Amino acid sequence: MRATDNQGSFLNRISIRRNQVVSMDNNHEQELEDIELFQKHVGDRFADLLSPAEDTSVDALLSIAWLRKILDVFLCCEAEFKAIMIMGRDPSQISKPPLDRLLHELLDRVVKTLDVCNAVSHGVDAVRHFQKLAEIAVSALEQRPIGDGQVRRAKKALNSLAVAMTLEDKDGAVGKSTERAWSFGRRGGGGGAVNKDRNPGNFRPICWNMAKGWSASKQIQAMSSNLVAPRGGETLAVPIYISSMVMVFVMWALAAAIPCQERTGLGNHFSVPRQLSWAQSMMGLQEKISEEWKKKEKKGSAGLLEEMQKMEKLAQSLTEFADNFQFPAEPERLEEVENQVAELAEICKKMEEGLVPLQQQLREVFHRVVRSRAEILDALEQGGKSSASIM
Amino acid sequence: MGKELPVPEKTTSFIRREEHHPNTGVDSADNPQPPEPIPEDEDGLEPSDDKNDDVKDKEDHDHQEDENKEKNDVGEDHQETKNDDEEKEENKNSNDEETAPADAADQVVVDEEEDPLITLHKVNEEIDRFVSSSSSSSFHDGPDDPDENAVKTEVVPEFVGMFLDLVEDKAAKHDSIEGRVKWNQLPENGSLFLQTVDRLSKLNKTLCHMKLEEETRSSLINRVGSIQQRAMAYLEEEFRSLMEESKTDHHHHDSDPSGGDNNNNSKDRCQLSASESETTGGDEEEDDNFPGYSNDVVLNLNGIAKEMISGGYESECLEVYMNARRIAFEESLHRLGFEKHSIDDVHKMHWEHLEREISSWITTFKHCATVHFSSERKLAEAVFVDFPSISALIFSNLFKLVFVDLLSFAEGVSMSKRSTEKLFKTLDMYETLRDMGPKMYELFPEECANELKKETTSTRCRVGEAAIFLFCDLENSIKSDTGKTPVPGGAVHPLSRYTMNYLKYTCEYKDTLEQVFREHSKIERHDSTSRPHNYEGGETTNQNNDGDEKQSPFSAQLLRVMDLLDSNLEAKSKLYKDVALSSIFMMNNGRYILQKIKGSAEIHELMGDTWCRKRSSELRQYHKNYQRETWSKLLQCLNHEGLNVNGKVVKPVLKERFKSFNALFEEIHKTQSTWIVSDEQLQSELRVSISAVVIPAYRSFLGRFSQYLDPGRQTEKYIKFQSEDIETYIDDLFDGNPGMSMARRKQ
Repeated sequence: MRATDNQGSFLNRISIRRNQVVSMDNNHEQELEDIELFQKHVGDRFADLLSPAEDTSVDALLSIAWLRKILDVFLCCEAEFKAIMIMGRDPSQISKPPLDRLLHELLDRVVKTLDVCNAVSHGVDAVRHFQKLAEIAVSALEQRPIGDGQVRRAKKALNSLAVAMTLEDKDGAVGKSTERAWSFGRRGGGGGAVNKDRNPGNFRPICWNMAKGWSASKQIQAMSSNLVAPRGGETLAVPIYISSMVMVFVMWALAAAIPCQERTGLGNHFSVPRQLSWAQSMMGLQEKISEEWKKKEKKGSAGLLEEMQKMEKLAQSLTEFADNFQFPAEPERLEEVENQVAELAEICKKMEEGLVPLQQQLREVFHRVVRSRAEILDALEQGGKSSASIM
Repeated sequence: MGKELPVPEKTTSFIRREEHHPNTGVDSADNPQPPEPIPEDEDGLEPSDDKNDDVKDKEDHDHQEDENKEKNDVGEDHQETKNDDEEKEENKNSNDEETAPADAADQVVVDEEEDPLITLHKVNEEIDRFVSSSSSSSFHDGPDDPDENAVKTEVVPEFVGMFLDLVEDKAAKHDSIEGRVKWNQLPENGSLFLQTVDRLSKLNKTLCHMKLEEETRSSLINRVGSIQQRAMAYLEEEFRSLMEESKTDHHHHDSDPSGGDNNNNSKDRCQLSASESETTGGDEEEDDNFPGYSNDVVLNLNGIAKEMISGGYESECLEVYMNARRIAFEESLHRLGFEKHSIDDVHKMHWEHLEREISSWITTFKHCATVHFSSERKLAEAVFVDFPSISALIFSNLFKLVFVDLLSFAEGVSMSKRSTEKLFKTLDMYETLRDMGPKMYELFPEECANELKKETTSTRCRVGEAAIFLFCDLENSIKSDTGKTPVPGGAVHPLSRYTMNYLKYTCEYKDTLEQVFREHSKIERHDSTSRPHNYEGGETTNQNNDGDEKQSPFSAQLLRVMDLLDSNLEAKSKLYKDVALSSIFMMNNGRYILQKIKGSAEIHELMGDTWCRKRSSELRQYHKNYQRETWSKLLQCLNHEGLNVNGKVVKPVLKERFKSFNALFEEIHKTQSTWIVSDEQLQSELRVSISAVVIPAYRSFLGRFSQYLDPGRQTEKYIKFQSEDIETYIDDLFDGNPGMSMARRKQ
């Protein structure tokens, strides 16, 4: 994976430098240089995430491929950060105020990141469920001649899809789960006589939920609430800040894209510092995504995932087709439908290919972050011990 | 075409109940085309079998015969055909015969006396024959056939239309808004319905392959597809309600488990449940706590699933299955007492609460590993018995959902704030992950098992590392115990008690802790940017070292703790102004520690005999110090030196000696009877050794010099103690009695 390639050489460089015995002054200079480099890398990476949105559709903003890319960026930044903070460093340097406090705040963000990763991973399951429903519609509508049965079948699946998507968006409040339908074909399935007699009290959430009351929105808010750009003074406060910013941003983008428990108000959470050069692209991305989010939030959408949004539109249009379908189909209409079905099939394929790796990547982030947390904590403790023994 | 068919009155049929001659059925004269193209040559027969297999025609009746019959004439051999078909049909109406629809010209013979069941039965037979023969001919359709008037088109026999009418009618009745027929209300457990659906699906396939005139074809396909969809929707709905409403333990366990859980909790709440929990009967009583289904229901589910899948409705079927099981899974986790918590919550949770949650987690994890997962797999295998890859997929998807939650909780616990009391529960979790893992791995195909192993191992590492930190936190507890008030009387310090009791409990987890320290004591930094993958490797290499390494990392840590405790105690001993009391304090604590170690085979083994011997000799040293400090001064009073000057006893000196002895001894008695030595053996050892030194010296001093004092007043004044008194007073020492005075004693 790209992430590891990059960081390998970088880490080596840093650790080699650190291991050279140099005067304190020199050391400090190099540290500044490392941090400079880190900022530049972060800036470049986010610029890369921002730009392709304009030209290609391959890695369109908030597409699955894009999300995978941003997770890569996260992993890279994380590794560089750790290299700067703890590799070859005397732990007592970081275990004194104010760095120790800043690092503890970072570790707290890490814990919340883990929950977001899990929630998003559950959300990916929900997307996969959408995909399955869409696939049913695709396979039904691909049949020729297209007949009442298949159209009805497709319609049922599409209805379930629509219901599932809106419910997914009603955002997790498990307490209200009685109102939520997981509803596969259970509601208004269009299956003729089918289902009309079902008791609607039985609805269940489709998604494997997080804990009761857990809210992606609140967590991200908590992650960003005590995040303040450092003003001079401690050099090492800068990478801590950058790393936290990246963490918050990535988690925020994920939560906006993928169905995720309780996201009200996700649109306006944290501010990216305007004056810092590394943050320019991040700010650009944030503006775009927030804008999208605010648009969708009103309508109620399962998430900003590009594929999912396209899917939603196509599904609406195909539902319309199905609603008005009469056998035999009109050839002109059919051609249009054929294209839409092909498009939907293409999206399903992208999901089929991308969701599992995305989920694996989330897991990787999870593991990596857990490990980093342990290492930083370990360094803090060691530093704390040695400084205590000096006193 | 189907649409144009005249629909007979719903409940009547074309078929008479009485026996008929075959050719009453189809009027061959009215039947210009054969109902389906018939392979004329023998070559045509062989692929027909293959083709049937393709269609998954599980009715194993002899196709050959069918083919032969149909070769002769579809209309004419009903008697024979029927006999063949009887074997697979439900033995009902075995003597009935079918009359085929009259002809293509919409002329239908309707017979008032007909029985719908029989009709269906007969039409079914026709359909079966039609499907199996058409499918064979689809590759060999008869362009060579000179009799075909249109080479490119085939004609669908009339009975197809009838079949569709009947099925549509039936499906509509099952699925009507009012009076919906539940699955278990269907005759023959629904097997007839399933057969019908099966026929429908096959017919659908057959028609798709037939070369028909386009409009006919598409309208017919439309009709079949439509009916099939309706039937499938019905199946889906029934599948769902069976899945959701027939779970075996759904009701009668509702009250049970709460009680069961409480039991488990209280068992686990005892901190030393490690060995115990392996032997508890908890697992047995939960054995049936699996929301499964009776055999009947499983058979039904299996039948429906099979039809849905082979009819192309696999996705719908799997969705329903997955959703129902996901819900069941969640419910049963809930019943087991496992509640979802975010890592953030676990991380912050109060220990008392967390401790309970850990107990539930352990119960749940064990139940899942030993009962639930394997039952779930068995269920998937039973329902999708004909589709092993589907059942495997379903099971692993379901499993992953739950498992991430279970592991996340453990991750959360491993991150929670460190404090020593969490060690034991954490080790319980560690053991659960370690012991239950292998039980789960075997449920999965290799690739999946590896993934699972990786995840479990990774979490186990976290928990193991946490355990190490928790144990090492004992160091901090000891270090931070820097109180400046000495324990009165030089008694055993609470820190010693706490540490030793803690270690005693700890050592009940000795083997686990040894493993934990061996495998997880170093966070590998070099590896840290990639996922932790080399733990298994670490395990094996370390095991190799195991034999020749005398000191395991855990016992090293234990020694470190003991040393730390020692130096802490030594610092505390300096708080006493009286050096003798310091020694008593060190003796008391040293003895206590040694006794605790000897009392626990595990710690003893870990610390080793050498250490214990060293400790004992240190204790002896303290004993000596004490004696020197306290008693050598006293003994100096009894020194003969200086009393004799030129062979004469100097009386004033003698008097002075007696006086100071008395004072000193009284002082010692007063002070040291408030000191505390609670270990009886140590107490008596001390007294004995004191007596052994003091009494003989005093006795001899007394024997030698008492004569020089004038009897009477002088003797009374200077000889306050007889040697027996001394012994008695020595026995007062170290009793912790502050009020003890000689005056009172004397009375």
